[in-house]
Amino acid sequence: MKKAFVAAFAAIGATLGLTLAAGAAAQEAIRIGAPLPITGPLAPEAAKQKRGYDLWAELVNKAGGVKVGDKRHKVEIVYMDYQSNTPRAVQGAEKLITQDKVQFLFAPFGSGATKAASSVAERYRIPMIAVTASSEQVYDQGYKYLFGTFTPNQTLTEPISDIVKKRVSGAIRVAILARNDLFPLAIAQELEKSAKKRGIDVVYFEKYAIGTLDHASALSQIKAAAPNWIFATGYTNDLVLMRKQMADLQVEAPVVTMIAAPAYQEFIDASGKLAENISSASWWHPAVRYQGKTIFGSTENFVKLFEAKYKSTPDYVEASAAVSGALFQLAIERAGALDPVKVRDALAQTDLTTFWGPVRFGPNGQITSLEPPVFQIQGGKPIVVHPAPIAQGELKLGVK
Amino acid sequence: MLALQILANGLMLGGLYACIAAGFSLVWGVLNVINILHGSLIVLGAYLAFFAYTLWGIHPFASIVIAGTLFFALGYLVQSALINRVIGAPVLITLTLTFGLDLMLANAMIVGFKADFRKLTLDPPLGSIALGEVVMPVDRLLAMALALALTGLLYLLLAHSRIGRAIVAVRMDREAAALMGVDVRRVYAITFGLGTLMAGAAGPLLAMIFPISPLTGPAYLGKAFVVCVLGGLGSVPAVIVGGIVLGVVESFAALWFGPEHAVTVSFALLIAFLIFRPTGLLGKKGYE
Repeated sequence: MKKAFVAAFAAIGATLGLTLAAGAAAQEAIRIGAPLPITGPLAPEAAKQKRGYDLWAELVNKAGGVKVGDKRHKVEIVYMDYQSNTPRAVQGAEKLITQDKVQFLFAPFGSGATKAASSVAERYRIPMIAVTASSEQVYDQGYKYLFGTFTPNQTLTEPISDIVKKRVSGAIRVAILARNDLFPLAIAQELEKSAKKRGIDVVYFEKYAIGTLDHASALSQIKAAAPNWIFATGYTNDLVLMRKQMADLQVEAPVVTMIAAPAYQEFIDASGKLAENISSASWWHPAVRYQGKTIFGSTENFVKLFEAKYKSTPDYVEASAAVSGALFQLAIERAGALDPVKVRDALAQTDLTTFWGPVRFGPNGQITSLEPPVFQIQGGKPIVVHPAPIAQGELKLGVK
Repeated sequence: MLALQILANGLMLGGLYACIAAGFSLVWGVLNVINILHGSLIVLGAYLAFFAYTLWGIHPFASIVIAGTLFFALGYLVQSALINRVIGAPVLITLTLTFGLDLMLANAMIVGFKADFRKLTLDPPLGSIALGEVVMPVDRLLAMALALALTGLLYLLLAHSRIGRAIVAVRMDREAAALMGVDVRRVYAITFGLGTLMAGAAGPLLAMIFPISPLTGPAYLGKAFVVCVLGGLGSVPAVIVGGIVLGVVESFAALWFGPEHAVTVSFALLIAFLIFRPTGLLGKKGYE
């Protein structure tokens, strides 16, 4: 019995010793917390963000680490699974700060969870970069430690409305069909505003439920309304099905815009010829061309590095995650210290071009410098049609 | 005109739902096993058709036969090796077992096929038939035909074949059937095999219609549930009736109340049926 106790104590002692040693070693590294929905319905999004962070961390560490004064610090990303459950994301952010002692934070996925977690970051004065939060309501709390790489939603709907107005002759009638979900619905409502502002007639506006297996009724109604612009929002599964049913029911229009699925190669592969001439907009696209001044270099170089590591083309979430890491790196190097307040100030003064596009943050922390690209699938490939400096072609009319 | 198109949409959607629910209804009705695995089996059938088409150019129609045969064997094995061990236990135990098997299959598919959405796109596509201004996609018509054919064959099998009579006898009274010399475990295995065959046969057709992902199983399963409650258990044509009622109700609900309420209305109907007519439209008493 006694022996067993001794053995148990020895084992506990050894574990504690190891933990302390590991703690001491980790002090050297810069620890960045990343609460992510690694399990649950948002798991695919978490995987995307993680790919972006990991690519950046690997690249930095291979280069010797982040330069702070004349020392180099390796980077360590501390992941925490909040199981697609927003309250748990808030607890997770707090645990990362208080127990895992992270010095900086990447925000959780999406506008809702980001807004919830931002109060924790603010309370502990930990700079946090939001990788996938576009809603202005996330940034309207007067917080100083929150920064975001997505512009507000209307920056996606305004340019495409202008283009359609210019290219389609006669009175424009738009039909809008939106997934009843945070971002897809917000972007549809934003488009409705952009359309009305330009005197475009909104002839149909409906929502469909998450998990809808059939769009036939809605599409039949849209067909009856005879629009010359169809605007649909949803994710890959929704819009692959919808595009297929449009063809089945012979619903055609000069312009069909879909957000967000066409930003993904998955949509193009799954839809085949039906993807042709579908237009879309997103905060970033691998087809854009910027000469970046971060560790990733130009957009082309970033895409190359990403493809080499993951054998797939990066999308805007993966790119945003990677650029967020690079922005932390630049801010830390410019601050010359790991002090959260100094890094926060350096982040606020960010002003440079990255593979993501030009980066400057407004007083509320949200990026103001980015002009999100409008693109169209032409010949099975996404072609940027806006903004002018990086455009590769013109919007083509006719979706059959 | 719009109403006619919506009706056609609803009927075709109903055919799809019947196709999804056919095997599930059989297994639930005869074995009293709620087969949570059913949705993922359909997805597996869809993957089989997808890879057969993209890798070897095998037409999905051929895959229906291939998947059906393979899946019958698979179902027979699963039932005789696993589910038969707990078949006498309360329904919750078999439900938990199939739930566990479903988790394993779904996750194995994520590992094996990745979580990407894929789609079997025929070249050239099957297209649509237009009757006046009413447009009907050929693949959905085929799904309806398959649902009718499968349930028709099942009806013939149950009514006229020796094994079919044995299946019915076991469902009516297991002990009595055993006393008459029916090998109950074998009958169970064959029935589950048939249910799995139907899932496997539905897969290739659905692969042409819906995006394929390891995570779509639960969506199919949910529809199968509703179809069984609406149509009722213990009767073969019930699954066709249940499917069509669900399809038509959802289509008109989308027209009248907006697409986001299509499912709300169908679930309200489901609750009403559970309260006022638990046997469903055609179900037999004692099967609910």
